[in-house]
Amino acid sequence: MGGLGLALTFSLGALNAQAQAPAAAPAAPPPAWKQGMPESMANSTLAPLPAKLTMTKAADVPLDKIKVPAGFKVEVWADSIPGSRAIAAGDDGKYYVGTRGLGRIYELTDDGKQRTSRIVIDKLNQPTAAFKDGSLFVVAVDKVLRFDGIAKNPTVAPVDLTEKFNFPPLQHHNWKYVAFGPDGKFYVPFGAPCNICALPTPEYAQIRRYNADGSGMEVLATGVRNSVGFDWHPVTKELWFSNHGRDWLGDDSPDDTMLRLKVGGNYGFPFCHAGTLADPDIKKDNACGGVEQPVALMGPHAATMGVTFYTGSMFPAEYKNVLFNARKGSWNRTKKIGHDVVMVQADADGKNAKVVPFMTGFMNEADQSWWGRPAYLHQMKDGSLLVSDEQLGVIYRVSYSK
Amino acid sequence: MSFVAKAVIALGVVLLTTSLSWGQVSPQRQALCAACHGADGNSQIKGIPSLAAQPKLFIENSLILMREGMRDVPAMKGMLDGVTDAEVIELAKFYSALTLAIPPADKQADLFNKGEQLASGMRCGICHLPNYVGREQMPRLAGQREDYLLHSLLQFKNNQAVGRDSNMAASVYGVADADLQALSHYLSRITP
Repeated sequence: MGGLGLALTFSLGALNAQAQAPAAAPAAPPPAWKQGMPESMANSTLAPLPAKLTMTKAADVPLDKIKVPAGFKVEVWADSIPGSRAIAAGDDGKYYVGTRGLGRIYELTDDGKQRTSRIVIDKLNQPTAAFKDGSLFVVAVDKVLRFDGIAKNPTVAPVDLTEKFNFPPLQHHNWKYVAFGPDGKFYVPFGAPCNICALPTPEYAQIRRYNADGSGMEVLATGVRNSVGFDWHPVTKELWFSNHGRDWLGDDSPDDTMLRLKVGGNYGFPFCHAGTLADPDIKKDNACGGVEQPVALMGPHAATMGVTFYTGSMFPAEYKNVLFNARKGSWNRTKKIGHDVVMVQADADGKNAKVVPFMTGFMNEADQSWWGRPAYLHQMKDGSLLVSDEQLGVIYRVSYSK
Repeated sequence: MSFVAKAVIALGVVLLTTSLSWGQVSPQRQALCAACHGADGNSQIKGIPSLAAQPKLFIENSLILMREGMRDVPAMKGMLDGVTDAEVIELAKFYSALTLAIPPADKQADLFNKGEQLASGMRCGICHLPNYVGREQMPRLAGQREDYLLHSLLQFKNNQAVGRDSNMAASVYGVADADLQALSHYLSRITP
């Protein structure tokens, strides 16, 4: 999910040669940019789903269509935030929300009854947010900014850490899910800048961690096509992360995955998908040899996004330590899946995983219509769960009472 | 001629030629748009895109990206200050319903043919549809001005399309400028 099927190459001599060749030229292997785009799909019209940038008010959200298990309640907790995705909790009842299209960070102030909002910064390239020790970290595709003591000093000028973090230049699949780990380090993924390609340089398809100031960078995992959600297991403290599979291999292949981080592990891209499927375009012998295996298959093209282990006490006991995952919904599939929040119920070592629906109704399987795209999750201090809907630009709060 | 002077003339043209509803868009706003994009949404000005028959959502998204300063278009600077979401939606509705003029009959056969092959091989039609009329958030390419298409493709290639879908950037990374020229020529000269 995520990339349009044009595999790209960074030396397009082949393209020029092909375009200028006479029509009767002998059959040559397809140029690299055509990899991942089989002839059988040349007439497909599957395309990324349309996002809207106009505001949606809470009153216009079809809340009655959302289904959750008995005892749970869904409300619109914040509205009018076009493209809302990332959520980070700050100090003094403040929350920071990153939006993609409009490139903003909103600060929401929650007094327990209602939220007021202001824009902290805008015109960034797909910014996301994290918070640590009084500082707001804003991470865009090409920028890292730190706002110190922002709760007390709302107009504080940011410290620009961009050079220290030294991000690679290509932008596709490089929206970043960021968080501080139990080790105090800052975890940052780097997606592959294509649907499927031999990486132009090695600094993509990785998960890294840094010290908070951008020093001490370590590559923790390679071959990770596009991870856009992770959290640390409450018991083992291992990092579990979501990963998008590639496009244009058909409706049922390959699966998006939920994985556990093994430091130094290889997760397969571009040669192997979901731990077992050798790529038909970018080949090598024994493509899946030594590749880390997923905890759970999250559905082909489902767009598995934000990940949160539930550690609160508001939800019933059986929800303790369960992994919640937002699935933004498929586009590279003739029949839609995703558009929901699911649970991954698994042993602490990742065995015996089951994927179980939790929050549904954003998509109608019968007529294939859809209206919402859950993207990011955040557990509040009271144990309720925030869910951002990137399509409508609203945030839901899911709570439980007997 | 100033924008305002053009706008006054254009307003007259709009009122004479348009039977479509502008909804809640003010006459002043209508005239401003028409001054550059043409009273019927067909631009006659170098570098200014035609808006006629563009998908409604594409126009909405573009206007908001410009209003909010994400998409930096010098000619549009300040033009959308204070325009509400509701007005943006009306503008989009209006322009999407207009008819695009027949493209100029001055195609250069070699360039056109090269562009046709490229568009087919690069699979532009998957998203923009096989006749390149676009849909939803994806613009119509068929019959758009050649100079504007090339400008836009170069922006995607050079990481200057902030706020827009990076799928498009990934689709043209590393493609030679000469190929983007051929694509632009081809797409600007086709009528579906």
